This record gives sequence, C-alpha cells and structure tokens, in this order.
Amino acid sequence: MLTSLKLMIRSTTLPFYYTSALCSICLAFNVSASTVKNESLQVHGFVAQGIINADKSNFINTDESLSLELTEVGINASYQLNNDFRLAGQAVYLNGGNRYHAGPRIDYLLLQWNAFHNEVWQANFYFGRVKNNHWLYSSTRDIPFARPSIIIPQVVYFDGFRDIAVGGDGAAVKIRYSDDDFGEVDFNFSRGESAISGDQSDVVIGKFALGQLGHDLDMQASVYWQPPFSGWRFGLSALDSTFVYNQAKIDNYFDGEFIFQFYTANALYEGEYWQFSAEFFQERFLTKGFYLPSFHRDEIGQGYYLQASYKILNNLSLMTRHERFYANKDDKNGSKLAQISGGAVPSYFGFHNDNMIGLSYDFASNFRLNAEYHWMEGGARLTPIVQPDPIANASKNWQVWAIQLMYWF
Amino acid sequence: MSSYVNYKDEIIRSIFLKIAIVILLFSPPVDAIYIISNITADTASLSVTQLRRIYSVRQVNWKNGTPIVVYVLASNEPLHQKFCKEKLRLFPYQLDRIWQKLTFSGYGVAPIEVATQQALIEAVQSTKGAIGYVEKLSEVKDVNVIKIDD
Repeated sequence: MLTSLKLMIRSTTLPFYYTSALCSICLAFNVSASTVKNESLQVHGFVAQGIINADKSNFINTDESLSLELTEVGINASYQLNNDFRLAGQAVYLNGGNRYHAGPRIDYLLLQWNAFHNEVWQANFYFGRVKNNHWLYSSTRDIPFARPSIIIPQVVYFDGFRDIAVGGDGAAVKIRYSDDDFGEVDFNFSRGESAISGDQSDVVIGKFALGQLGHDLDMQASVYWQPPFSGWRFGLSALDSTFVYNQAKIDNYFDGEFIFQFYTANALYEGEYWQFSAEFFQERFLTKGFYLPSFHRDEIGQGYYLQASYKILNNLSLMTRHERFYANKDDKNGSKLAQISGGAVPSYFGFHNDNMIGLSYDFASNFRLNAEYHWMEGGARLTPIVQPDPIANASKNWQVWAIQLMYWF
Repeated sequence: MSSYVNYKDEIIRSIFLKIAIVILLFSPPVDAIYIISNITADTASLSVTQLRRIYSVRQVNWKNGTPIVVYVLASNEPLHQKFCKEKLRLFPYQLDRIWQKLTFSGYGVAPIEVATQQALIEAVQSTKGAIGYVEKLSEVKDVNVIKIDD
C-alpha cells in the first residue's frame, strides 16, 4: 500500500515537474518571441532545367540534337552587418551549350555601403564582383524567372559576351531620387574588369587563337526615369571597354586590341494585362591587329528589339518579340562582309534577326514553366565571335525551341 | 382585419430596418486593408507615394533612423493582391520584378515573404522597424496602425 501511495505521490509530483518544466520552456520561448527578431541573414536560391533544340545551327551543340544543356542553379546569401554595411554573394552553375562555357561561377560577391539616405535620396556603393545593372535585363540574365524568356534578346544580351557583359570586379554606385511630382530617377555608374578564362576566350576568339585575351577596365553608366504613377519607365546607358590580345609564341593570330562601346535607349510599359519593352542600341567594335599586324576595322553596329506580352489568365502569359541587328550599319545585308572575306564568310553573318513566340505558366508563385519558339535569321550572334563558322551554320534561316521548368525560394 | 395585418407588417419591417442599421453601423468595412507597423516605427501616417517607396525599397529607414523591415505574403495570395492594387496602385508582378532583381543581383534586400496572415502579424509585432498589412484589425494587438493619405 505504501508502494502504491509512493507511486501515487510520484505520479502526481512528476506531472507537476513536467508541467513546470514545460511552462518554463514556454515562458522562455515567449520571452524570445517578444524580443527583437533578427532578419540580418537572408538566403535564396533557384533551380531550373530545360530542353532545347537548335536546327541548322551550332547555337547549342554541333550535332544539332535535342539537348539538356539548359541548366541554371544558384544560391545566394545576404548578411546585414549593420545599418550601413551589407555583404552579399551568389554562386551559380550554368550550362548553355555552346552559348557560353558551362560551369560554376561566383556570380556576385560584394560589400554594400549605404552611404546616404533620406526620404527622397539614396546613395549606395558596391565593392567587389558586381553585376551589370545598366540594361533592362542585364542583372538577371541568368535568373530564369526574372528575365523575359529562356533565350533573351541576343541582339543586346549576346550570350557570346555573357561572361564579360554580366558584370565585373570593381565598384559601382547607385543613386536614387524619388519625387512626388517628377517621379523616380536612378543613376548608376560602374568600373570593373572581368577575368577572362581560357574557356571564355574560346567563345570570343575561337580555339585557333592560342594567345591570351585580357579585359582592361571598363566603364558603364545608366540613367532611368519613371514618371509618377505611370506604367512607363525610360532609360539610357553607355559602356566603354577595351580587350587586349597577346599572341602566343606560335600563334595563328597577332597582338591586337579590341575596343567595344555600347549605347542603349530603352522603354518599359507595365499594364494590368499588357507589358511592352524595347531596347535600341548602337555599338562600336574597333579591331586593331589580331588578324594581321596592320589590320584595322572600325564598325558601327545597330539593332533593336520590340517585345510584348499579354496576361491571358492570372497564371498564364503569352509573349512575342521581334529583334534586328546589323554588325555594320553600312553593310546591313552583309554583302561587303562576303566580298572582303572573298566569299569565305557568307553575307548572312552580317546580321541577326529573330521572331519569337513564348508561353509562361505559373504553377505557384515560385514555380513556373516557360516554352518558346524562335525563327532566327543570320549568323551575327553566334560564337566564336571573331571567327564565324559557316560550315556549322550553313543556313541563313535556323530555328530554336526550348522548354524550361524553374523553381525558386 | 387588413389594417391589423398591415400594422403588424409595419412593425416587423421597422424592427428589421433598425437591426440592419445597427449591424451596418457597428460592423467594419468588408474590404478594408490596414497598414500596421512595429511600435518602434514612429510614423502615424504615410502618403501613397511614401508607401510605394517603402515597398519598392527606395526608402529604407523610418524618420527616427530605424531600418524598415517589410513583410509580405506570397504574390498570389488574395490579400497581397488587394493590397497592391488598392493601397499601392501597383500590380503584384511589378513588385515581384523589383524584388527579384534586388534579391538575385545582389543590389539590395527585398521584403520578407511569410506563409500566413498570422505569421505576418507576429513578425510585425516582434521585429524592430517592421511594416505589414492586415485585413481584420480587431484581432491585432501591440502594433502601430499607419493611416494612408489618399
């Protein structure tokens, strides 16, 4: 009886202890819930995989077969050190077939300094590896859900230049002004250089150039204006960059210098159902040496794209785009190019046109499917850039279709 | 006889009318959205343009210097969509574009997405400088309500 009494006491005491322990834990959690929540660290990422096929072109692969070389995976972190300083970095793995070299990359790795802010002005400096923020879609060209289509307008966002155009190591400043009457104005300036790897060089200058391609410092600036309560936004940008080629001891090519200058004007309209965007540009591509010691070519290229999309349902959109590019505005049909090369380079390598149609379906707010079809014409936006390949690209007209599934968090 | 029936109808009608008036007077508007902030945010009212600046990350501090921490629901949630259209006069996809660009290009920090209205309320209650939106104010305590000047 005493045992059972002891058991009884124990059984009443233990629940009391358990309850008080539980209460203490609850109280502890309650206490921590009422203290400040710390949101200094943010982690996000994405994964996308697709299938792609390019007919009559080595845009993706040499044998023109159906390809899975459409992979984009990324993870990023942002850590707020204090009110003024923040660290951020993103690593990605990209595979785009022949468009750019496949592999992992440090996409960005920077220190942000919030130098000045009040209700209407904001000035931020960024140091380290910084993305090109100057064109409409340049800062998110590899982010599948934050760009207009799977293959983005090659006339502006030529994948052959991707590793150079996507950003650089250096510094950038972003100044923002918001006014109730005038609207919102953003000014961006950046200086940086890209370390060009052997694989990236092959994309630009081909495998027969055995020397080293280096990127000197480049400067970019842009300004954007959004009128108050308007669906329109307008922008201008300018880029000035220099590349140096140092020939190898035994080489098919010579020391050379490439100057690339790029100017754009863009417009964006965002309505309830309709969206429009357009970028117009002019580029200057100056080549000194490289092919021959005394070689000199100074070409002005021009192009534009016009893009429209329509929201059929809340989660389904249809889009279409028309693009045109001439590598030399004085040789729009490429006949001079064919003449100079003695017929080795067909005239259609002097231009690039694209008409595309695409669909986008959202399964959820962070899960999407994109599908598109491109009718391409011309070879001016194919790699290697300085050595067109008319054998692999024997047809003026070629097509690309792609489907990609993407998830982000 | 008929006048008695009429009189009874009148009384019933007037009673229903009075009940309806009482209900209308004391029930909150069905479609109202309230902007709430943590008690450390020292703002009683904001204009629509100021609210837009906060949600498009163009204004990152309150007047007293406290950093603003913005909480939102997923972009396909009905409350979020109503908030965008009615309070910000922006389409949800426009904010998504701005936020995704910041998050995935390294240029800034986007608002923090939470799964439920309850989680949003708790986040605003417990995070210094936080701002968010709610539908039913009666269930929410320990927050500052911000009036939006149209």
